[in-house]
Amino acid sequence: MEHSLVLFQNEKQIFFSDEHWLYPLFEVEQFLGERSISPNELFLRDKIAGKAAAALIVKLGIRNCFIELLSERAIPVFKKYGVNYSYQKLVDHIQCRTEDLITDKMTLEETYLFLRKRAGKVQGVSLKINSLSVDIAGKQILDNLELDLGRGEQLVVQGENGSGKTTLIRSILGLIPSINGSITIGEEVVGSSGWQKNRVQTGYLNQETIKNNFPITAAEVVAIGLSSQKLPETERAYRVELAMRKTGSFHLMSKLFHQLSGGEKQRVSLARCLCQNARLLLLDEPTSYLDEKGREELYELLVDLSKNEAPTMLLVSHDSNWTDRLKWQGKILKGGKLW
Amino acid sequence: MVDLFTYPPVLKGFIVLIITGFAFPITGVYLLRMNLLPLRFMLMHGAILGGALSLAMSINPFGGTLVINLLLVLLMTWMSRSLKADPGQLSAFFMVVSISVAFIFIYRFQVPAKDTLSLMWGSLYTLNSFEFIGTLVFSLLLIIFQAQYRHQLRAVFFDSDVARTAGVNETGFYYGIILITAVTVAAAMKLIGALLLDALLLLPALIASYHAKSYKGMVLWSSFWGGLFATVGFLLSLAFDLPASSTIAVFAALVFLILILTQKK
Repeated sequence: MEHSLVLFQNEKQIFFSDEHWLYPLFEVEQFLGERSISPNELFLRDKIAGKAAAALIVKLGIRNCFIELLSERAIPVFKKYGVNYSYQKLVDHIQCRTEDLITDKMTLEETYLFLRKRAGKVQGVSLKINSLSVDIAGKQILDNLELDLGRGEQLVVQGENGSGKTTLIRSILGLIPSINGSITIGEEVVGSSGWQKNRVQTGYLNQETIKNNFPITAAEVVAIGLSSQKLPETERAYRVELAMRKTGSFHLMSKLFHQLSGGEKQRVSLARCLCQNARLLLLDEPTSYLDEKGREELYELLVDLSKNEAPTMLLVSHDSNWTDRLKWQGKILKGGKLW
Repeated sequence: MVDLFTYPPVLKGFIVLIITGFAFPITGVYLLRMNLLPLRFMLMHGAILGGALSLAMSINPFGGTLVINLLLVLLMTWMSRSLKADPGQLSAFFMVVSISVAFIFIYRFQVPAKDTLSLMWGSLYTLNSFEFIGTLVFSLLLIIFQAQYRHQLRAVFFDSDVARTAGVNETGFYYGIILITAVTVAAAMKLIGALLLDALLLLPALIASYHAKSYKGMVLWSSFWGGLFATVGFLLSLAFDLPASSTIAVFAALVFLILILTQKK
């Protein structure tokens, strides 16, 4: 076999890739996403497949495949999801760190998201905070705070009122001018010229406190995410519509923002962040002014977002009942440090 | 009444009033959204100081008003941002200082109070070429500014923090809006005077804010109402031989009142 992966439709070759690791399968995902092809008509030939590749093949909906070098760890996955497989050579495992990291407890969805993150196929960007100290009006709010968040990871920071949660968010946003230490988003240090250019990669969902009755429609609020981009009006409208559809707020498009319920406002604000194509999403007490229905809506949106676009998300809240349901990793902000 | 337009001062006044009538309410939207109402009072008093200084030095009051207003806003904005002082309190402070210094100049240099107070009700028919062209060019620039930066302005008006995270230079726009306000107030003082300039600046924006369904609608409606007030007010003033500025203000106030009273609860 010349190529590392070949895809056939009814015995006719329709795609091939010479990439390595799991990238050919992600290419197949993109290829199929742009076409309407029944997975039952597909046959995949791959050079090597372990547990990770097997999970991806299942996720792609492919039912028939031939693998030259197959790991025994892939077989239970194929069997569980009814994939017809054949192979040239079977080995007990393949030399791949990714395969070792996939545990039996992980569901197919979790495995898929994990693989996307490892492949850099998520929207998220890394966030690294080194020795961050912030002093406001002579009071030490953050004290040598450290944080390392990988691409597409989610973190809930809890803490009592006044513990510095909002200060942490505002520092990451670059809204506090004098800080000690460094905050790096992706490759850019907050405050640098590179960060200024890429500032839009950080989205901000604040407490629902915008109470003014400024006549602005929900669609106009979402379009704020594109404020600094030069785009044709048709493209702008398309991106706004897309973001609003993703967050289920499309029907609110022409409604006045200040007339929306708390939950609807957060839905629209999330659409603004998506429209902005934010890769790091900072959520500051997003449930503060939400009723039970609004809290439920926001929960569903965040779960959905963490599975699909998967931006890196940092949420600060003192509402532990609500954040516990997200099942994100959690830290406590106390004494200016994260624990 | 048509004959009156054959007089150059009347024609010039009409042209400049119509153009500014459509353009200046855009600044009214900025004032309302940025909560800069105290700033407006400061600028009105600053304009009187500029007028008094100019008259004392025998120079064009329009230029003097403009310079003093620009200096005041820059000083006020710098102090409020760098010293974290409340802009409203600073505006009140500069307002008192401006009017006090203005009256000292009026007294010491024996400036005819009538000339200074003419700034209160404007002098539409005494526009010289510099004022005429300057006001028209500024109006045009204001419209271009709004059209060019409408997306960024919308973000700044919505929420300054959100605007910054969306990559908008919020500080730059804040200063830009302050400067535009200073020039608009100085120009409007000349046209319809300190006491009535709200008829051109604020009332159209205020009325629009009651019924506009979007930010875009608010800007367009403000402009429409301003243009309507200026046109109808001017024509009424000619028809009934009334002062143009007062007629415009009374007409605008009447429309405002009718709309408030007839608005659905």
